[in-house]
Amino acid sequence: MSEALVASTALAADSSAARASGARQFWRRLRAQRAALVAAAVVALLVLVALAAPLLTAIEGQDPTTYHPSLVDSARGGVPVGPLGGIGADHWLGVEPQTGRDLFARLVYGARVSLGVALAATLVQVLIAVVVGVAAALGKRWVDQLLSRITEIIVALPLMIMSLALLAIVPGSFPRPVLVALVIGLIAWGTLAKIVRAHTLTLKQLDYVAAARLSGWGTWRIARRELLPGLAAPLITYSALLVPANIGVEAALSFLGVGVKPPTPSWGQMLTAADVWYQAAPQYLLLPAGALFVTVLALTVLGDGVRVALDPRAASRLRVGTGRRSEAKADASTDTPAGGADLPRQDAGTPPQGTAVPRPGAPADETKEATA
Amino acid sequence: MSGFGGFVLRRALGTAVTLLAISVIIYVVFYATPGNVAQITCGPRCSPVQVRQVAEQLHLGDPLYVRYWHFLEGILAGQDYSTGTSVQHCPAPCLGLSYQTDQQVTRLILTKLPVSLSLVFGAMVVWLVLGVGTGVLSAWRRGRLSERVLTGVTLAGTATPVFVIGLILMIVVCGQLELLPFPQYVNFSDDPEQWAWNLLLPWLSLALVEAAAFARLTRSSMLETLAEDHIRTFRAYGVGERSIIGRHAVRGALASIIALNANTFGSAVGGAVLTETLFGLPGIGQELVHAVNVVDLPVVVGMVLVIGFFVVIANAVADVLYAVADRRVVLA
Amino acid sequence: MRQPSVIARRVAAASVSLVVAAGAAACGPKDSDAKSSGGDSRPHKGGTLTVLNADPQQDFDPARLYTSGGGNVPSLVFRTLTTRNRENGAAGAQVVPDLATDTGRPSKNATVWTYTLKKGLKYEDGTPITSADIKYGIERSFAAELSGGAPYLRDWLIGGADYQGPYKDKKGLDSIETPDDLTIVFHLNKPEGEFPYLATQTQTTPVPKAKDTGTKYEEHPVSSGPYKVVKNENDGERLTLERNTYWSASTDAERKAYPDKIDVRSGLDSSVINQRLSSSQGADATAVTTDTNLGPAELAKVTGDKALASRVGTGHFGYTNYIAFNPKVKPFDDPKVRRAISYAVDRSSVINAAGGSSLAEPATTYLPNQKSFGYTPYDLFPAGASGNAAKAKELLAQAGHKNGLTITLTHSNSKDFETSPEIATAVQDALKKAGITVKLQGLEDNDYSDKIHSAKTEPGFFLAHWGADWPSGGPFLAPIFDGRQIVKDGANFNSGFLNDKSVNDEIDAINKLTDLDEAAKRWGALDKKIGEQALTVPLFHPVYKRLYGEGVKNIVISDWTGVLDISQVAVK
Repeated sequence: MSEALVASTALAADSSAARASGARQFWRRLRAQRAALVAAAVVALLVLVALAAPLLTAIEGQDPTTYHPSLVDSARGGVPVGPLGGIGADHWLGVEPQTGRDLFARLVYGARVSLGVALAATLVQVLIAVVVGVAAALGKRWVDQLLSRITEIIVALPLMIMSLALLAIVPGSFPRPVLVALVIGLIAWGTLAKIVRAHTLTLKQLDYVAAARLSGWGTWRIARRELLPGLAAPLITYSALLVPANIGVEAALSFLGVGVKPPTPSWGQMLTAADVWYQAAPQYLLLPAGALFVTVLALTVLGDGVRVALDPRAASRLRVGTGRRSEAKADASTDTPAGGADLPRQDAGTPPQGTAVPRPGAPADETKEATA
Repeated sequence: MSGFGGFVLRRALGTAVTLLAISVIIYVVFYATPGNVAQITCGPRCSPVQVRQVAEQLHLGDPLYVRYWHFLEGILAGQDYSTGTSVQHCPAPCLGLSYQTDQQVTRLILTKLPVSLSLVFGAMVVWLVLGVGTGVLSAWRRGRLSERVLTGVTLAGTATPVFVIGLILMIVVCGQLELLPFPQYVNFSDDPEQWAWNLLLPWLSLALVEAAAFARLTRSSMLETLAEDHIRTFRAYGVGERSIIGRHAVRGALASIIALNANTFGSAVGGAVLTETLFGLPGIGQELVHAVNVVDLPVVVGMVLVIGFFVVIANAVADVLYAVADRRVVLA
Repeated sequence: MRQPSVIARRVAAASVSLVVAAGAAACGPKDSDAKSSGGDSRPHKGGTLTVLNADPQQDFDPARLYTSGGGNVPSLVFRTLTTRNRENGAAGAQVVPDLATDTGRPSKNATVWTYTLKKGLKYEDGTPITSADIKYGIERSFAAELSGGAPYLRDWLIGGADYQGPYKDKKGLDSIETPDDLTIVFHLNKPEGEFPYLATQTQTTPVPKAKDTGTKYEEHPVSSGPYKVVKNENDGERLTLERNTYWSASTDAERKAYPDKIDVRSGLDSSVINQRLSSSQGADATAVTTDTNLGPAELAKVTGDKALASRVGTGHFGYTNYIAFNPKVKPFDDPKVRRAISYAVDRSSVINAAGGSSLAEPATTYLPNQKSFGYTPYDLFPAGASGNAAKAKELLAQAGHKNGLTITLTHSNSKDFETSPEIATAVQDALKKAGITVKLQGLEDNDYSDKIHSAKTEPGFFLAHWGADWPSGGPFLAPIFDGRQIVKDGANFNSGFLNDKSVNDEIDAINKLTDLDEAAKRWGALDKKIGEQALTVPLFHPVYKRLYGEGVKNIVISDWTGVLDISQVAVK
């Protein structure tokens, strides 16, 4: 990612952290966005389904790996017997072509892998990005140059190709979902590291950080106590977008044959196997595709919601948390800043500000409160 | 403009260092990749003696650093090689010969690159129109049906893997509706019209995946601009909403869009693997995946370098354009 | 190789090359063809045949090609000493003369083979084809630069093991004599009654020494067949073939060469190829594919559509998918364990995973179920359609595994539906019923290929397959079960490390036979005898189903290749 893009995304999200004012306000603003709430509920439900997969399949009376040869028409390529892909009381969402494995079970177990891999990969990306980005911003000139160069190299390496190569090197005995998460995490942290570095540089200029430096705090202590809280907002915002992206990468790796290994189901793997069945057994494709769509949609909307809630300026633009619920039916991705005529009457509490240079100016205590 | 000259020089130097480092990484990673390269090249039924001959011919027995040194030599000075019947010269910058096909990698790249560039350039137009259009709509015509539909489409594009979108588009548009023939790549120089018709679906598939990011960026940048003081002043003076959106808000978002676009373009040159594979476009991505699978190191290194080059260049271009579009930013 | 993704197929590069131009047999649907093309079903000359393929013809050098019977597209350009009989079904599994006047005259106990060329044979430039060119063509296949072909010439010709090809060794190979322009004599180091089969491979294609450009020859190989290469773009991705005016039908009884032009387009996704063939629009109406079968999903769609179903050719190729044991690894050293697993296997779920009963037939013999292989039916450890768990448990208990057994099944991560995860999970699921817990070890394709073909790293229990280099028991049984073909420091295919003197002797005895029917019977008997050792569990033989365009006529599918022969099809 170029400096330019980092700069522009930093502009969009930067002031958020330092200017956020309190956890309570954050929740108030988040609660005011109905779409974000729905999205949060959906995400929570997805996580719950993934966690409860064994329970859910036990209720259904199926498991994701048992073959049911009698439920598919062998002579016709293994297309499920019965209408709608074999949907019925025994198999709530029908069965998989060729094998007759239960689709509901595979879908909910697949959620575990897809969400787990994506979340773990995001975690790895965030960890590396924070370490590299903060170290580059706070370190000596040569440290910065070295780390920035490494970041540049990582950004320029094609993700798919490196994943193919790395996944082939590691022995097959290594747990595959962990490996896939690690590989994605280890290769795709460059952009985030650049954003972290840009934010840290901005934060470094702030009075309270400068004061801490002057009073002789060590770099480590400053990073931990003063910077990390300030970085939380852009990290959360960006991570909410990384998770769906990582789900997509896992799917693509499955398509290329190096994803999670069967019989472990994942949505990506299901999509890969199902795309040719689009005409003969459409539900086989539509189920994982639908699940993936809902997940990405929910995470995107939630991510926007969190960003808005963290960024009072955006919040005020969206009339969020100002008590005007009617104007704040804020679906962050589909909705809408307040109409033009309303803007001049904006709440004086958050003075509008030019975007040219980030000038976050919130007092230190407020920041801490926001992320406490 | 000594500042600009210095910027270009620093960038060029940095690019060279980055590319060099990438080539080292690829060499090391693929050195560690399982698979007996000589056996793969020779064929599964080759005898141990033949495999040794092939290994010798490909210099696979040399230590890693020697092989890497030959690679650098080839780039700077070119290299001579034998076809068996004659000695040929691969002029600098020579990226070596494919283990599998004995083709010059540089030539291979030159034949594949136009395909990838055609795909990505066209897709770029589509994702800009679709993405920025959606973004503008969602900042302007908030909440109307057209805006919601477009936003939904772009999000669905992000959420659905390209191999699913592409296949369904092909089955429906080409197979059932018969609106278009099944895509097969035609050189632009041979027939520009057919080139475009055949690439339409690949463009659309690839663009759908990228469009949502543009929609989001456009929207948030526009909202950012709309909240600025001078816009409020314009409004106070009674400047029309259409004019404010068109002349000011979009312009305000332009810098970010340019930056994101250059980035996406750079990574898509090599990142369109799945699109190229599905539509059978003989581009860089498709060839690269094949080369990785048969551990064809010279091809992998050469192509990854080209991709890295595009990413780095695209980033540099982004920085310059960004600076031009948004004069508030000074080049570092 | 039977399912979409180009990548999958490419991942399986190593295994694919064994069966390049694979395909097998049967049923040329001549009557249905008459229906679909309406009225005049007789083939006529003219028109353009389009070939839609997944894999580019990257290897287009006769020295590098690994084909069965000369291949499909290559066979349009390269004539060979002998070739496969271009007929439907079992008749198509026979060897017939091509450049030569007969299939070869053996002497000295089948160690010397003599061929005489037909008169008046010419290359695309009008120069005559000589026996010296055939000798040169064979010699250059020994060059390291042009490796890739089958191992038989190297193994059989006197001096072949050490010969390094004409580029390094100008003197040539003494064991090939060309006393005159029309005669060529081969001297073998042991009796080989199946030499006529070997002579069908493209290595016996004449290559004019003056036109040899080494590794660049494949860009424009000099044609001896009915078509010549006029365009070769992107390393075999797009080929245009037009008539070779110097080819004469009077010297070639096998190739019909109806179309005026052949347009080969490759690098396409398999699902796209099948979609295009089923839509059959424009040029696709006169299109065929030489490398893409119908997958299960496509079959499900096609069988529901009568018009489409009439455009499907079905064929059988000599090919077996099986589970291999390495008896050096515990517990597979115990024949009882191997037999128990043989009893427990559920072939119906394996077959479903492979694409269903229309795309795979259950296998209980190692040899393919075709006459030319000497197929002798046997089912030594009857598992029925869905496995005999009780019998398996009983054997396991006898072997001391009363409380079940935990083993690891190694497979590849390709998407070929042969050694791929789908098959492995089907085996895993079936053995569970017999109290055997199977852990899966999926390897990337190169890794998999390395491991299973190395005597040092071979796993104990893995998925494997073997395809016929020609339709006979020899190349099917010898590499896998001949104890003298165990390779310690290179690619080894004798996975069971069987080195049984009686088996080795019988292989030698059959190789002396020049009566191929008699040899086939003996191969069949030998297969059954080896089967008693339970070193493999045969799973299934694939069935090839391929679509072709609406306007394609004269479909011929032999048991040799199993796919429609493009030298026979007409588009007018």
